Amino acid sequence: MRSEPPRVARLEPEVGINRAIPTVMHIDLNSCFATVEQQARPRLRGRPVAVINRRTEHTMIITASYEAKAMGVKLGMRVRDAKKLCPDLVWLESDPPKYRYVYHKLLGIMNDYSAHVRMRSIDEGVIDFGDTTGAIAGRDIVDIGHEIKQRLRDEVGSAMRCNVGISTNRFLAKTAAGLHKPDGLDVITHENLRDVFAGMQLEDLTGIAHRNRQRLEQVGIYTPLEFLDADEETLRRVVFKSVDGTAWYSRLRGWEVDKRDFPLRTAGRQYVLESYAMKPEDVLKRLHHLAEAVGRKVRSQGLVARGVQVHARSYEHAGRGWNGAYWHARQMASVPFSSDQAIYEIAKQLMERAPYPLKEIGVTCYELTPPDDTQLHLFGDQLAHERAVVSAMDAINDTWGERTIHSADTLGTDMVKAKIPFGSTRYL
Amino acid sequence: MNDEVFLNERIQVLCSFGSGLNPCVPRRFRRASGREIDVTEIGLRHPTVNGRRMVHVFDVTDGMADYRLEFDSERLTWHLTREGDRL
Repeated sequence: MRSEPPRVARLEPEVGINRAIPTVMHIDLNSCFATVEQQARPRLRGRPVAVINRRTEHTMIITASYEAKAMGVKLGMRVRDAKKLCPDLVWLESDPPKYRYVYHKLLGIMNDYSAHVRMRSIDEGVIDFGDTTGAIAGRDIVDIGHEIKQRLRDEVGSAMRCNVGISTNRFLAKTAAGLHKPDGLDVITHENLRDVFAGMQLEDLTGIAHRNRQRLEQVGIYTPLEFLDADEETLRRVVFKSVDGTAWYSRLRGWEVDKRDFPLRTAGRQYVLESYAMKPEDVLKRLHHLAEAVGRKVRSQGLVARGVQVHARSYEHAGRGWNGAYWHARQMASVPFSSDQAIYEIAKQLMERAPYPLKEIGVTCYELTPPDDTQLHLFGDQLAHERAVVSAMDAINDTWGERTIHSADTLGTDMVKAKIPFGSTRYL
Repeated sequence: MNDEVFLNERIQVLCSFGSGLNPCVPRRFRRASGREIDVTEIGLRHPTVNGRRMVHVFDVTDGMADYRLEFDSERLTWHLTREGDRL
C-alpha cells in the first residue's frame, strides 16, 4: 500500500491585484500657494503667478500657477529665467500664515469625514475610510470626493481647486489624484489599473525618480506596465536589492504598505546666503539665527537633541560646473540639550572648518528624544538654570511674537525668517 | 513683475456683521488721504497672530486694485498694509 506523499511547505502564492472596494482618498491642493494667492487677490486669477521665498530675481520659484506652468514655468526655476518664458509673470513673496490657514481649513473638512486623516504635507492629505466604514455607510466615496471639493470652494473660496484620487492604497490614490490636474477626481481600481499604467511613464510614479528609473531600466523595465508585471524576486533581489522590492511589488498592486508614521528624528533649517563671499562673522550671525530657529522647533515638540550637524554649500568647483560643493560636519554631545545657546556653540565650532566662500548654510539637530528627567546629571544645577532661562524666553516669544527676545548677535538677520515647512506638518 | 506696495496706514472701515463663514465683512474704507474705496469682493480672510494678539487679515479688491486690511482684535484698529494696483 502506497503511503500519501509527505506534505511540503508551500510558498505563499504571489500577491494578486487588490480587488477590494477603494477606500483610500488622497486630496491634493492644486499649485497650492499660487492658488491661495489667486484666491486672496481676485485680479490675479487667470494670470501667470509664481510664489517665491525672497524678493529677488535670483531666487527660485516654489510654486507656479497653472497659467504659468502652461507657459513653461517650472518649480525650481529662477525668476529671472521664468520671465524670459513668461514676461507677464507676477511673482509674490510667500505668505505662510495664509497657507497655514488654508491647510487647517482643509484638515477641518477632512476630519468631518473620518478620524483617520493624515496630512502628508502642507498641501496634501489622505483619508482612510477603510477603518471607518460607518462614516461612509450608504454613501459613494466618489460623492464624498465631490462634496469635499465643493466644501473647499464654499468654505475657503471660489478659486480653490483640489485633486482627489481614490484607490485601495495610498500610492494608487496619490497616482489617481495626479491623473487630471487641475481639479480632477479619479478612481483607480483593479479594473482600470493596467489602463492607467499604460498611459504613464516610470518617473510619473511617486517614488521613482532618476536613480530608481535607471535601476529598473537595467533589468529591462521601461514602463509602469512592465514594472507591474515584474516578479517579486526580481524586484527584491536584482532591482532594489532589499525588501523595498517586495514593498513595490505590493504597492503597485494596490496593497497598503505605506500606512506608517515616522517619529521625528531630526529638526533643521537652512538658508541660502544673500551675497557671494560673505564674511565669516556675518555668516555666523545667520548661523546663530538658524540655531535659534532649530532650538524652537526641537522644544516645540517637547524633545531634546544629542547631536548637531551643520552643512554648507560652497562656491567651490564641483566637477560638473559651479553648482556648489556640499560639505557637512557633525558632533554628538555627552548631555542632551535643547537650548539655542548649546546648539549654536556646537554649530559655531563645527563651522570653523567650512570651505568658504559659502552659498548656503544649514543647522540640524539629530538623535531627538524625549527628555529623561529621571537621570541625575553631574551638572544638574547648571542644566536646570539653562532650562529655566530658555523656558522664560520661549514664554516671552509665545506671548509677544517670534523673536521678541533673541540673542543680540542676531540683530539685523530678519531676512533668515521662517518659511514654509514643506515636508513635515508638525510645525503647522 | 511684483506690484505690491507695503504700507502701515491707519484707516477707517465700515463693516457689516452677520452670520456664516465670514461674519465680518468690510464694505468700505477711508484712507488717510480721505479717499473712500468700496470693497467689491473679499478674496480671503485669515487670522494670524502677533504673539498672543489675534489679527484678522482681509484680502479685498474694489475691482481696480487689491488691498490688504488688517484688524487688530485687541486694539480694535484697522490698518491698510498692502496695495497692488499695477497689473
